[in-house]
Amino acid sequence: MSDSDEKLLAQMLKGDEDAFATLYRRRQGSVYRFALHMTRSFAVAEDVTQEVFLMLLESGRRFDSSRGTLLSFLYGIARNHVLRRIEKDSREQPAHPSEIEDCIASEDFADPIDDLTRREAIETVRRAIVSLPPIYREVVVLCDLEDASYEDAAAALDCPMGTVRSRLSRARAMLAARLVKKTVGIAYE
Amino acid sequence: MNKDPIPDLLRALAEADATEEAPPEIELRLRREFRSRKRRRMWTRLAWGASAAAAVLLVVVATWHYRQTAPALPQAEAVHEVVTDFYPLVNPAPPFERGRLLRVELPASAMRMVGLPVHAEHLSDPVQADVLVGEEGLPRAIRFVKFEAK
Repeated sequence: MSDSDEKLLAQMLKGDEDAFATLYRRRQGSVYRFALHMTRSFAVAEDVTQEVFLMLLESGRRFDSSRGTLLSFLYGIARNHVLRRIEKDSREQPAHPSEIEDCIASEDFADPIDDLTRREAIETVRRAIVSLPPIYREVVVLCDLEDASYEDAAAALDCPMGTVRSRLSRARAMLAARLVKKTVGIAYE
Repeated sequence: MNKDPIPDLLRALAEADATEEAPPEIELRLRREFRSRKRRRMWTRLAWGASAAAAVLLVVVATWHYRQTAPALPQAEAVHEVVTDFYPLVNPAPPFERGRLLRVELPASAMRMVGLPVHAEHLSDPVQADVLVGEEGLPRAIRFVKFEAK
């Protein structure tokens, strides 16, 4: 049976490099994909993944298992880095949400759900997710794409589970509205 | 009635990206950093250990020396202790979980080190102090003890 994250962390903090490597290999994918889906940037996802695990080396002792799993702790660190990055980027390059919507609108499709090929549909959803405000984007990424439990998501986002549920519901509605809106817009052109 | 397509699309996106991972060079960089931090920690511990050993030796020598010259303390039953606050000896202090309290005797000049006033003519008078020693042997804090008649 493989060791739990918590046990690996304890060994890592005692200086066991193999434990760190095992923990990294087990969890880097989730952290990387979270950052990638939040930003759609491979470079940012790489930076964030590295920063998260450096922070684990630095502050792993701060992890408190009574407040959530180690994965939710890692998501929490990743989230802070991602939000800082999004904020910095939006200051340097003022946001143009319409650019993303224009991309969606420019897709040559009549019904994004039935008619698009699978790849195009996935790309469209990917763009639609990034066009959501960060507080909605992060719940979709965690709960729908990374399959995190509401409990883990709440621990990572430092908010009650009820908030996760309501944001997720709102986020899905926004996603649906964005996709349908574009379809209707094209249909009337 | 049309089925809500959003969950299916999200699932498809999750499946398409399920194999996305950080490039291997990040693991190599992190492992290098892990080893480098481990080495730094080891040297820091050695330095702390050496400082702690020197501090303990100093305290022992001071205690021995002043026991030779110190006047006898009043009988325990006739006095009670008044202690100062603890003053940190390490700044910044590493995390503290457990430790021991050692009663030592020092020259009153030691009180000046933590900012307590001592008249010049009493600088060499012996004073009692409690040294809080961490479980790694490092003196962390000190407080001074005064005996007052009951």
